[in-house]
Amino acid sequence: MVPMSDEKRTSVTSDLEDLERRLDEVRNRHEKAQEPDDNSGSLLGMAWRMSTELVVAVLVGTALGYGLDRFLGTQPWLLLLGIGFGFAAGIMNVLRSAEKMDAANADVPIGDDMPDDDDLDAD
Amino acid sequence: MANNPLDQFKIKEIFDGPQIGPIDLSFTNSSLWMVIASFAIVVFFGLTARGKLIPGRLQSMGEMSHEFIADMLKDTTGPEAVKFFPYIFTIFFFILFANLLGMNPYAFTTTSHIAVTAALAVFTILLVVVAGILRNGLKWFKIFAPSGLPLIMYIIIVPIEIISFISRPITLAVRLFANMTAGHVMLKLFAIFIAYLVGKGAMTGVAAIVPILGTTAIVALEFLVAALQAFVFAILTCVYLNDVYHVDH
Repeated sequence: MVPMSDEKRTSVTSDLEDLERRLDEVRNRHEKAQEPDDNSGSLLGMAWRMSTELVVAVLVGTALGYGLDRFLGTQPWLLLLGIGFGFAAGIMNVLRSAEKMDAANADVPIGDDMPDDDDLDAD
Repeated sequence: MANNPLDQFKIKEIFDGPQIGPIDLSFTNSSLWMVIASFAIVVFFGLTARGKLIPGRLQSMGEMSHEFIADMLKDTTGPEAVKFFPYIFTIFFFILFANLLGMNPYAFTTTSHIAVTAALAVFTILLVVVAGILRNGLKWFKIFAPSGLPLIMYIIIVPIEIISFISRPITLAVRLFANMTAGHVMLKLFAIFIAYLVGKGAMTGVAAIVPILGTTAIVALEFLVAALQAFVFAILTCVYLNDVYHVDH
């Protein structure tokens, strides 16, 4: 009686292990298949984000300079200064958002965090 | 058939409203689709809010969206920012539903008007300013002048920081508006091209297969953009809310 129950138990655990192994397999395959899609979507978003940030900062700087010029009667000096400051602010915005994206999602390829060749042809 | 790809963005009055100064308060097609979007959100979360211990499919959709926004807010702003959760949640789902509803034929895309996106962006940035001043007092303005710099640097840094802060609501508004408008114009152009090719005769009719495939691809891309832009707007709101809690960078 005792050997029989032992036998039963081992067969059950081996069944469970088998199931576990197959589940892991499916899970791995699924995760690998999903990854590239996710990245390409967020890359498109990132490109948009950075370009608008740069352009808008230059426009805001220019507009502020122009407005102050009209107000103070110092055409065209503050306008020129505003373009310069706007460009600087734009660069800073882009750098800052790149830093944040890098920190928020470390496996996104930006700067020196480029993916290895192995990662790219994983599928 | 409307041949102008910009016709789809025309505001049409549905019924008259009062005129207050320069503001015309008529109910337009844009207002109608905003109401439909809000109504759809209420219905969606009404259906998904079951409160069962073991969630079914619908309930887990509701719970997952809650978790998704809560995690995003926790990761980007910090656990103390949880009181802004309702705002982020609302803004994300409003933009998402407005974008997705706009993908339907004959629907109006409210987010393709800069007036709408600018209003959302202004709300966001006013929230940052008001909450920041309420929490930190006048010290909040130190976000424009990070401490520990040589005095001469402030002449350069302060204007740059101010310009960068002012550009935030504008980038928020422009990005959403430009993405939605550009996508819908592109879609319409391709679709019109199909009609022209087919109308010209049998030879060019065969060539119409190219824009047909193109349109299909763009529709898929636009669904991606619709979801992505809602996400970007929400996550940037979270990022900007950082300024409420972390005055010293």
